Amino acid sequence: MTQTAVHRSPGKRPRVAGLISEYRRYSHGQNIIDRLMGGYGWESQWHYPELDVVSLYVDQFPENDLSREREQRHPDLHIYPTIAEALSLGGSELAVDGVVLIAEHGDYPLNDKGQMLYPRYDFFQQTVDVFRASGRSVPVFCDKHLSYNFDWARQMVDTAQELGFPFMAGSSLPVARRVPSIDLPLGSEAEEIVGIGVGNIDSYDIHALEAMQCLAERRRGGETGVKSVRGLRGDSVWQAMDEGAWDPALFEACLCRSLSLKPADETHRHTYPTRQELPGLVERPPVAYQIQYNDGLKATMFLLPGLAQDITAAVRIKNQPEPFSVLFYLGAGHHMQPNFFNPLSHHIENLICKGETPFPIERTLLTTGTAIAGIDSLHQGEQLINTPHLDISYQVEASTFRRT
Amino acid sequence: MADRKKLAIITTFWDWRSHANHMGERFLVGYPRDGLWHHPDFDIVGAFVDQRDGDDDLSSHRAKEFGFTVYPTIAAALRLGTDQLAVDAVLLIAEHGDYPSNEKGQKLYPRFEFFSQIVDVFRQDGRCVPVFNDKHLSYSFDKARQMVAMARELDFPLLSGSSLPVTFRMPPITLEGHVDEALMIGVGGSDAMDYHALEAMQSMVERRQGGETGVRAVQLIEGADVWRAGEDGRWSRRLLEGALARSDSRSGIALTDGRPQDLAHSDELEELVEDPSAYLIEYVDGLKATLLMLNGAVQDYTFAARCDGEVRSLQFLLPGAPNVVYSACLMQKAEEMFDSGKAPYPAERTMLVCGMLERCLESKITDHQRLETPELILSYQPPETPQFVGAPTGP
Repeated sequence: MTQTAVHRSPGKRPRVAGLISEYRRYSHGQNIIDRLMGGYGWESQWHYPELDVVSLYVDQFPENDLSREREQRHPDLHIYPTIAEALSLGGSELAVDGVVLIAEHGDYPLNDKGQMLYPRYDFFQQTVDVFRASGRSVPVFCDKHLSYNFDWARQMVDTAQELGFPFMAGSSLPVARRVPSIDLPLGSEAEEIVGIGVGNIDSYDIHALEAMQCLAERRRGGETGVKSVRGLRGDSVWQAMDEGAWDPALFEACLCRSLSLKPADETHRHTYPTRQELPGLVERPPVAYQIQYNDGLKATMFLLPGLAQDITAAVRIKNQPEPFSVLFYLGAGHHMQPNFFNPLSHHIENLICKGETPFPIERTLLTTGTAIAGIDSLHQGEQLINTPHLDISYQVEASTFRRT
Repeated sequence: MADRKKLAIITTFWDWRSHANHMGERFLVGYPRDGLWHHPDFDIVGAFVDQRDGDDDLSSHRAKEFGFTVYPTIAAALRLGTDQLAVDAVLLIAEHGDYPSNEKGQKLYPRFEFFSQIVDVFRQDGRCVPVFNDKHLSYSFDKARQMVAMARELDFPLLSGSSLPVTFRMPPITLEGHVDEALMIGVGGSDAMDYHALEAMQSMVERRQGGETGVRAVQLIEGADVWRAGEDGRWSRRLLEGALARSDSRSGIALTDGRPQDLAHSDELEELVEDPSAYLIEYVDGLKATLLMLNGAVQDYTFAARCDGEVRSLQFLLPGAPNVVYSACLMQKAEEMFDSGKAPYPAERTMLVCGMLERCLESKITDHQRLETPELILSYQPPETPQFVGAPTGP
C-alpha cells in the first residue's frame, strides 16, 4: 500500500475531527472519542493519546446524548452543524490532521434485506469533498465495515488511493487481545476456517468475518479473494451440519475456546452440547455464511446467539492433526468495560500521528463484500451468490493484535 | 486402549455452585483444553461428601448417573469398600458447605482432617497415590506445614492451590528479573477471595531473581489507613496505575456515562471503594508486596510489579458463569499430576501463602500491628517453566 506523509506542522499535536452518528453511553462514537480525549489503560499505564479531538459533527442527538456534555467538558472541542465545518473548524478549508468516522448506532432506516442504512458513505463523501476542495488530504478511520453497499465501499477505497491518504477501517476484533495470545503462523497451509459469533446479520456478522479474515489472510500465498457466498438460516444450518458441510472438529475447537459456552444440563454441569442439544441452546434462528475463496480455502461463519457470548475461530492446517483455534477477547461478562476499544484507539492514534495503517484496507473491503453477499443470499432464499467483484488480493506480514 | 484410572473425590459439599461441580465434575464430563473437549482417562469411582443433606445436593444424582458410590467414610471411599487402597488418585475439595468461622474470619474447612484421614489410609495400606487439594491447604499455617510434611515423608505427589496462578494471563507474562516491589488488586470477601489474590501474587513474584526467600513480616491495614499508607510510600501509586491499566471493570463514571477512568489518579477511587484493606508483605530479600482489596471499584484481579526497573502488569482471566473456564485450567494441572506423578508446581507455594494469609488476619484482629513471621522464612524452587495455561511455548 502506498502511504503519504502525515500533513501537519512540526511539533504540534495533531487535531482530529470526529464524525459521529450518535454519541451516547457505550455507542461506538462515545467509546472511541472518549478514549482519544481522556485516555485509556494501555500496557502498564494510563495512556493519553498525543492528539487533540477539536471538532465533532454529530448526526443525531437522542435524549441521552453526551456530545454536548463533552463539548462543555473540553473547552477546545466544538460541535459543528455540518461535516464540512467540522473539518474546516468553521473556516474555508481543511483544518484538521485526521478524521475519525463512526457511523454506528443511532436511528436509521432498515432496507428490505435487514441492513441498517448507516451514512458511512455519505460522511466519507462529504469528507473527501473537503479534501479535494482544500487540495490536501489527511488520514481517515472508518469504524466497522465500509458501507452496506459494496459499490460504495469500493469507491471509498479507490478514492483513498486516488487522493493518497492513509485509510483504516474495520472491527475492533482483529486488533483485540486473544486467548490464548497467538496468531496463525504466516504462510500456513490453511484448508478450512470456521468462526462462531453472536448477534444478528449486518451488525455482528462483520465482526465474526473480520476475526476469521485476519487469520485467513495469513495463509500461504496471501489473500486471493472470495469466489462465492451462501447464507443459511434456521434448520438449513443444522441440516448442513448433518450433511458434513464443514469440519466438525473446527466447530468444536471454536466452542472449546469460548469462555461462555452454555451448558445444556439443567444442573449447571459444564458439558459440551450434543448435536441434539444444540438447537435448543441457540436463542434465535442460527445463521451461517458458507464462503468459498478463489484459492480453494473454505470458510463458514456462524451466528449462534445464546450458545456462547463470544467470538472464536479455528483453522484446519494441512498435515497438522489438531486445528489452530483462538478466542477474540471482548471482556468476560456484561459488567466489563468495553476495553477492546483500547487497541483500536491505539491504532487510530498511530494512523493519525504517524500515517500508519496496521493492515490493508482491502481486508475490510473484502469482509464488507462478504457480509453483503451473505445477507443477499439469505434475502434470496439461501441462493449461492457468485462474487466476481470480491476478486481482491492482498498480503499481510505483521501480526497486529494486542499482545502486550 | 490403556486402562482407565480410578479417582476418588473427597469433598465437603456438592451442589451446582460448589467447587465439587466446577472442579470435580470435569473428570465426569470433560473440559475445554487447548481447543478440544478433553475427556480425562479417569473414572470417579468413589466419593465422600461431608454435608449431603441439603436439597441442592448433587452427589446422589451423579453417583447414580455415572455409576460410582458415595461412601460414609473417607477410608471407604479410597478403598471402594475393600480393605485396601483401591484408587489411583484423590481429589480433595473442601471448599463450600456450612462450617464455623474463627475469630479471624477464617472458615474452618476440614481440609487438614480430611487430608490426615487420606494419609492414614496410605500408611495403613502401604501405598500412596497423588493428591490434589483444592485452594489453600488449611486456614492454619501449622496444619498446612504438617500436610506438606506428610506428603514429603510418604513421598506422594501433592498439588494444591488456587486457579488464579494457572488461568490465562493477559498478557501472558512472567517475571524473571529483579523484582523490588509488587502490587496485587483483588476483590471479594475474606478469607475466601483474599487467599486467591495472595496466591496469584505469589505465583508472579516467586520466579524473581534470587529465588523465593520467604516472608519476614506482614501487616494488614484497613480503611483510611490504606490510602495514608499509599501516600507514605508503603505501597506504590505507580504500581496501582499499572495494575488498574489492566482492569476491564466498569464502575463509577465509567458506569454512569461510559468514560474510561484513570482511577489511580482520581479521587473517585476512594469514593468507590467500600472498606479498603491492604495486606503488606515484607519478603526476606527486601521485596515489598501489597495486596489491595478494592471492593466497589473493580471486579477483576490485576497485578503490577517493578521488574528490572520497568513496570510490568497483567490481568488474571476469570470468566464467570457459564463455564468458569479457570476451574478447567486448574483441573488440567491436577490431571497432569495424576498422569505424570509429578506436581507441576510445589505445594510449598500454597503453604507459604497459607501462612501469609493467616498472619495477615492475625494482624487484622490485633490492632493491625506489624507481625514478624520467622516461621515463614522458607525457600522453594518454582517450576522450571511457567505452568499457567496459555503460557507462550517456544520462541
